[in-house]
Amino acid sequence: MNLEPTSLLQGTLDLLILKSLATGEMHGLGISRRIQQITQGTFVVKAGSLFPALHRMEDEGWISSFWGDSENNRRAKYYRLTKPGRKQLEVETERWGRISWAIAQALQMP
Amino acid sequence: MALAAKLRSFLRNRFFSRRVDADLDHEIHSHLSLLIEENIRAGMPPDEAQRAARMELGGIEQVKEQVRDKRMGNWLHSAFFDCRYGVRQLRKNPGFTFVAVITLALGIGATTAIFRIVDAVILRPLPYNSPDRLVLVKEHIPKVTPDPIAVCAPDVLRFQRENHSFVSLAAFRGDQFDLVGGTEPQRVHVDRANANLFSLLGARPILGRVFTPDEDRPGHTVAILSHGLWQREFAGVPDVVGRSVSLNRQIFTVIGVMPATFIFPLPGMDQGDAADLFIPIAFTPDELADEGDNFDYSVVGRLHLGVALQQANADLQVIAHRIQETYPVEFRSDINLGAVALPLRDTVIGKTRTLLLLLFGAVAFVFLICCINVANLLLTRSTDRQKEMAVRLSLGASRGRLLRQLAAESMLLTFTGAALGLAFALWISNALLGLMPPDIPRIHGVGLNPAVLGFTLGLAVIVGLLFGVVPAFTSSRTNVVDSLKEAGRSTTQGPQLHRLRGALVIVEVTLAMVLLVGAGLLLRSFQRMLETQPGFRPEHVLTASLSLREPQYKDDSDIRNFYQRLLERLQSLPGVQIAGASSDLPLKAGWNHLFTPEGYQPPPGANLNLCNHSVILGPYLQAIGAPLLRGRYFTDQDTSASTHVLIISDSLARRYWPNQDPIGKRLKWGTEASKDAWLTIVGVVGDVKQSSLDVETAAHTYESFLQNPISSLNVALRTSNDPATMASALRSAVWSLDPQLAVAQVQTMHQVISESTTPRRFSLFLLGGFASLALILSAIGIYGVIAYSVVRRVHEMGIRMALGAQRPDVLRLVIGQGMLLLAIGMIIGTLGALVLTRALASFLYGVGPTDPVTFVTVVVILAGVAFLACYIPARRATRVDPMIALRYE
Repeated sequence: MNLEPTSLLQGTLDLLILKSLATGEMHGLGISRRIQQITQGTFVVKAGSLFPALHRMEDEGWISSFWGDSENNRRAKYYRLTKPGRKQLEVETERWGRISWAIAQALQMP
Repeated sequence: MALAAKLRSFLRNRFFSRRVDADLDHEIHSHLSLLIEENIRAGMPPDEAQRAARMELGGIEQVKEQVRDKRMGNWLHSAFFDCRYGVRQLRKNPGFTFVAVITLALGIGATTAIFRIVDAVILRPLPYNSPDRLVLVKEHIPKVTPDPIAVCAPDVLRFQRENHSFVSLAAFRGDQFDLVGGTEPQRVHVDRANANLFSLLGARPILGRVFTPDEDRPGHTVAILSHGLWQREFAGVPDVVGRSVSLNRQIFTVIGVMPATFIFPLPGMDQGDAADLFIPIAFTPDELADEGDNFDYSVVGRLHLGVALQQANADLQVIAHRIQETYPVEFRSDINLGAVALPLRDTVIGKTRTLLLLLFGAVAFVFLICCINVANLLLTRSTDRQKEMAVRLSLGASRGRLLRQLAAESMLLTFTGAALGLAFALWISNALLGLMPPDIPRIHGVGLNPAVLGFTLGLAVIVGLLFGVVPAFTSSRTNVVDSLKEAGRSTTQGPQLHRLRGALVIVEVTLAMVLLVGAGLLLRSFQRMLETQPGFRPEHVLTASLSLREPQYKDDSDIRNFYQRLLERLQSLPGVQIAGASSDLPLKAGWNHLFTPEGYQPPPGANLNLCNHSVILGPYLQAIGAPLLRGRYFTDQDTSASTHVLIISDSLARRYWPNQDPIGKRLKWGTEASKDAWLTIVGVVGDVKQSSLDVETAAHTYESFLQNPISSLNVALRTSNDPATMASALRSAVWSLDPQLAVAQVQTMHQVISESTTPRRFSLFLLGGFASLALILSAIGIYGVIAYSVVRRVHEMGIRMALGAQRPDVLRLVIGQGMLLLAIGMIIGTLGALVLTRALASFLYGVGPTDPVTFVTVVVILAGVAFLACYIPARRATRVDPMIALRYE
């Protein structure tokens, strides 16, 4: 499934990015692969969605970036969570939990 | 915290955009390398790895553009760039930009100019306190005249005393007095007014005070200056209060000065021009005895809160009925006196509203035509720029971004146009003010106020958005692949766009047609009016107005002496052929008299007999050149001692004594019952246009000054050369007899005529101007569309000619295309004009609103101009060299 930043899914993409970065700093491709992995291939985030989201979140102050070397000694831009980013992750996680619970309830109704 | 980060990002994106951009570029490239690396590690051959990576990335530039789009502060950044890019685009196409901006400036300018006048005259309220409760009270004698008339003095008091509907009623009467103060005596407009007039209108003096109720009674020589006279004659000095001025040789004390905003009376209030100064109304016992006579006083009233107009009317009607009961019995049945209250605003704006709304409608048409032309230009351009759009789309610009870009460009265009238009409007509306006839109330200074600015700004924004968005949609819907494949080759354009362009031309022709017909009808009316025989010979005639007043001229002999001596002096001036004088000049209206011919049996239900009446002295009729048809002119032997005689006009003679010799017949003033003396007719002269060239000539009677001396006369001199050069000789002749007498309205008869044609000239000039503009603009529009289609169809023309089409065939093809649009437009336009020119009916004279000559002429002119507009590009099409056209492939 391709993840396009529609209005509903935009929050979802943010959440997934924040979640991926929760374990440590990562470059763009790493985040993309991480999302693929933790959603077991359900979401494939393309560069056209990923980079706008990253830069937007950086502008919001949730993540910060720096240039570093990749595993194979290539220059790459790395991202990591900031303090407000962690807070945002909590908020988003909590919100998402409520929504998915509510949707699940709704769908279980006879 | 987050806010600080946001601000930091905003500033960074804003001020280090190059570094930010380079960073982004690196990041995306490194992302690509990582992808390739990953693919290679998965076992792909290098070039396969590269291709797959690029596929997954989806275009470096697109990704970058998407990121930029999401950035903080991006809107500002891109708006700035849109404008800069727009300016560059517009400068790259100076021809297009020039034509578009000028067209917009014309449209917006003309519309703003008319709006300025409409705003000042119609939209803004009258400059008095709560003007919506102000009314003009009038009396009504349906049998004498269908329109309500002013009020007579004794009735003013009765209305004031007996009404239950008004807070107050105030009477005023305009007059002209000789003011002596400066170098020369001058005639000024003086309004006698009730003391309560000022408080009723909510007007306060800026200096001194207004009248006290006590000053409503005779014997108080106090005067209030208008702001204008204060500035003109007294240089605006503050100590003017308490000074003395001489009005008709009577000394008045200045007690106050009104503000500049207080302009009273306005046109439509029956008392002439705005007053230069006010004096108390102070009815004399004589005036108060004028029961049922001299309906000369205007009455303005303020309705009580909650009293409707109908209630007030009923109230007034009851009083009028009571007044009529006091009339002599034999009078009552004929008079049938009524009274009405008319909203002040309606009486002031009256006919002007129709005229101005008409002009506003016309200018709206011009504006639409301008918009259509510019829209067509933009459409053309957007078609030309399809490739540019395709390239930019493929390089990653979003469609929304392109739309914004195009909107910015058209906004730039319209705002430049609007700014120029505003300057144009200021210039043209100042010129219009000079042309404006005096019966259009200049209630407010036609200044540049927020309403006018807002109007222009609103126009610009609406037009800019419209222009930006409409063609933008066609551009941004560009199919990238198709456009790029066409690779600069010109093709026959899409049928949709072509049809849209054709429809716009049709609308344009329709609007131009309607305007041309309207202007044509006005032009024909104007022509008809100028062709009208005025009944006199206006060449070489100089006129001036004099008014002799008490106490200097107490009785008839003083007045008679003065005028007789004056005429003798004037007659002896070198260059004067004939010198005469009359109470009224042609085209300047005059008195209406009720009369009864001897032995005349009126048909049942006929109106009372009314005629214009003039008192004349010396060879006045010879001086203006009114021909004697029968009998004789007056002589010096027609004196108070001899039989009272009359000269009548031709139409009066024909009407009351058809097929008879009117000489020796008699008539008297008043109705059948009147006890006036009989007057004997001694001569018949040709009809002279008395009120206006375009009004039916009314019956006219002339009486000798020697038998009825009156104090105000207009001198008419027939001169042997240019009458204007005699003006100073005329003035000195008057002042040699009386240095304190004002010589007013020194005009040649041609000036009198030109003054009386001002209203027509004004509407004709404007509508004619709009129609010409519309004609030129729609010709440009047609030319543009046809020329463009020729350019787009060069290839097609080449094929046609290669296949054997002859030049005339091509010519016919192209012209036929334009003429079809023209024909459709003209048919719709004719139908539209048939409906819309009805609104013009009241402005026409001597032609009907469906005048076939006008319609045919307009069709011929429009078709001729349109043909030319098609012919020029069509000829270009025939010059297409098939070889070159085809080689373009």
